[in-house]
Amino acid sequence: MSSSDLLAGGVAAAPADVSAQPVLQLEHVTKRFGGATALNDVSFDLLPGEIHGLVGENGAGKSTLMKILSGVHSPDEGEIILGGESVTFASPKDAKAHGVGMIYQELSCMQQLSIAENVFLGRHLTGPGGVIAWGRMQQEAREHLAELGLNVDVTAQLGTLSLGNQQLGEIARTVFSGAHIVVLDEPTSALSGPEAEKLFEAMANLKTRGRSLIFISHFLEDVLAVSDRVTVLKNSRKVATLPREGLTKHRLIELMIGRDADQLAESYEEGIQLPPRSDAATVLDIDSISSTGAYEDVTFSVKAGEIVGIFGNLGAGMTEVARTLFGQTVAEQGRIALDGAPVAPRTTSQAKKLGIAYLSENRRKTLFPRHEIFKNISLAHLDTLLGPIVQQKREIEIADDLVKRTGTRPANPLLKAGNLSGGNQQKVVLAKWLTKTPKVLILNEPTRGMDVGAKREVLDLVKTLKNEGVAILLLSTEPETVMAESDRVLVMSRGRITREFAGERVSKDLLMEWA
Amino acid sequence: MATQAPAQPASSGGAISWASRNARLLAPLLTLLVMVIFFSLTTDVFLTVPNLQNVVTQIAPIAVAATGITFVLLCAEIDLSIASVSTLTGVLAAWFFVGDTVALGNWGIPAALIVAALCGLINGFLSAYIGIPSFMATLAMLTIARGMSVYVSGGKPIFEVPPFLKAIGSVGNQVFGIPVIGLVALGVLLIGEFVLSYTKFGRYVYMTGANREAAEMSGVNTRQIVMMSLVISALTAGLTGLLFIGRLSSANPSAGEDILISTIAAVVLGGTSLFGGEGGIRNTILGLLIFGVLSNGLNLLPNIPITFKQALQGIVLLAALLLNVFALRLERVNTKRE
Repeated sequence: MSSSDLLAGGVAAAPADVSAQPVLQLEHVTKRFGGATALNDVSFDLLPGEIHGLVGENGAGKSTLMKILSGVHSPDEGEIILGGESVTFASPKDAKAHGVGMIYQELSCMQQLSIAENVFLGRHLTGPGGVIAWGRMQQEAREHLAELGLNVDVTAQLGTLSLGNQQLGEIARTVFSGAHIVVLDEPTSALSGPEAEKLFEAMANLKTRGRSLIFISHFLEDVLAVSDRVTVLKNSRKVATLPREGLTKHRLIELMIGRDADQLAESYEEGIQLPPRSDAATVLDIDSISSTGAYEDVTFSVKAGEIVGIFGNLGAGMTEVARTLFGQTVAEQGRIALDGAPVAPRTTSQAKKLGIAYLSENRRKTLFPRHEIFKNISLAHLDTLLGPIVQQKREIEIADDLVKRTGTRPANPLLKAGNLSGGNQQKVVLAKWLTKTPKVLILNEPTRGMDVGAKREVLDLVKTLKNEGVAILLLSTEPETVMAESDRVLVMSRGRITREFAGERVSKDLLMEWA
Repeated sequence: MATQAPAQPASSGGAISWASRNARLLAPLLTLLVMVIFFSLTTDVFLTVPNLQNVVTQIAPIAVAATGITFVLLCAEIDLSIASVSTLTGVLAAWFFVGDTVALGNWGIPAALIVAALCGLINGFLSAYIGIPSFMATLAMLTIARGMSVYVSGGKPIFEVPPFLKAIGSVGNQVFGIPVIGLVALGVLLIGEFVLSYTKFGRYVYMTGANREAAEMSGVNTRQIVMMSLVISALTAGLTGLLFIGRLSSANPSAGEDILISTIAAVVLGGTSLFGGEGGIRNTILGLLIFGVLSNGLNLLPNIPITFKQALQGIVLLAALLLNVFALRLERVNTKRE
């Protein structure tokens, strides 16, 4: 399951020199957004030739720290010390000029250009008269990439490479444009096992060349496999910075979740007792479905009036399973049955007619911001609600009823949906599927980015649907969301279901251990 | 666009806010009023019954094709083949009627329309299911349809057309003073308005254009919607071709290419977005009237050299488009503030 077994000790053989002068230090950095403190008195140091893991739950402050390092935000208090000198980054460009390079989760390379051009993006080598020196560029690109363990035809289009190799290309570009410090944000989330190993080798290689790397990830095994030290953030504060030796995944999870008594209820830290298995009729039955590069041998079922939660990290394959169920992709193998009859929806409209409803994780993909709320709500079931002729009066009545039921504020179906707050937009999108009760409701990150009140309202709605006998599948990367209302909990990791929790205790650390 | 006003809450009242919310209709309406007033004052002829009948007869064939392409633009697609498909349909109807090779008589009219629908089906299939951008797919169809009308007719105009079409197309043929051809166009526009504003399909067209992914996520078969819109557009283009040969009493394979620009210009002038999801037949009607009044009125103006007319028409159209853009910016700012 993890690549740590394969790599432990092997790659990260030479630990960084702890006595050396740090290349980068953050001293008591605090960052506030409005009333909320995103980073609270955090100190952090990075040694030359070190790979430094950075872990923490969603919202612990990882991304704020990263944005401060890359010049997107500047700290309200504290300072950044680079090579012994206090600096301020005016912009991401400025941070880059200071030698801090970022590799984001979503790669920013140009698929259509050649690999060599990508490595030299924005600073093509030129000869006399400004003519591009292709030969020299290809030669140098080839050498640079070989250093990272990537031996490819540099004249090929970047898009022809695997995602892992594209990532190596991007790292090469960052390093050879002068970055001494490279920050990698979730670099392994979309990689297969062998690809991740290759990345780790490249990281170790850079390390021996004296570059320093910050490795941010949810995949704790990966962090443990390559890091020299690991810093744990929790609730905007630094918990600890520890050397890798003697550190275990379990210990990291403990540090990430913490033991604050006052946080108990909110964080489900002590876990919850799941109810005994339901004996209701099975509505959705999935039998070992597989899709190359997305998920493998996935089997589970959802019963009437049951909420099945699936927890996994980003890229675990949950969204891909949901897309297959909703007719957006087709499983290459396996069977899906609905009420005992095999189904294979090929379009979203077929899936809808079968009684499957899907709430996507991306609100941009679900909302019509420039259209009225009532048009947003009625769209999914226009025909069954109104027949082929749209009677707008009736349509608005139905929408009016639903905005009240979902607690959408302001409760005016004639407003444009784009004028609502994020949480209320999500209620509108959910309301769309309530115009006709579905058999199966798939919710992908239904409460992400919502405040506690709105979260509760959405979860209460989901509970109401459960009581009406809807089979509900709830996918989330937040353990709290999965644990909040689920009757059974599954954990997915790298495209596979790794564990089912039913009728037993489940806790955050257990979920995270299996992810 | 079809939101019924009475249900609007009083809280957001005020004439300015109302105007900004309806900017997409008011801006072209203002342009039209200014033009009508201007030409009424500067020429003696503009505001006479025969001249207005003339305006109607001139824009009627374009209005039919404009109805169809409104569907396509609302879907955020484009159909460049309308002019060629229109010409091909006209030529085929006349060719079948003459019957040197295939004699269908009046049945040639529905047969020609079926060919038009087929062109649309191919456009739609290529862009919705194969993934060729509609710009390219319909550009290819433009060439194919144009080539086919030349091939079928041997490159020469056909001077015999079904009398039925002649009767519809003739300017003298009027009901209560309105040319029949104008009534046909009005009928098509009203059907278009009904379908777009009051049917499920129409709503799907708007939502597909507004956010294709979100429509897909709501279980709308967006590919089907895009394909159907292109079929509708080809069908109305075919109808336009029939009206043209009726009006001219002949089918000319090398005529009618300017329909494309006139039609799209009229629809966009009316305020329908080229990016989909916003606008509609009401906008198209306004755009057609602006376009018709402008080309007619410029002809009547004394002291303008005939050679400068086309350039002047373009300049006025550009001004009208600028007005639309500014009006919509105002709308957007006001919606945000609410």
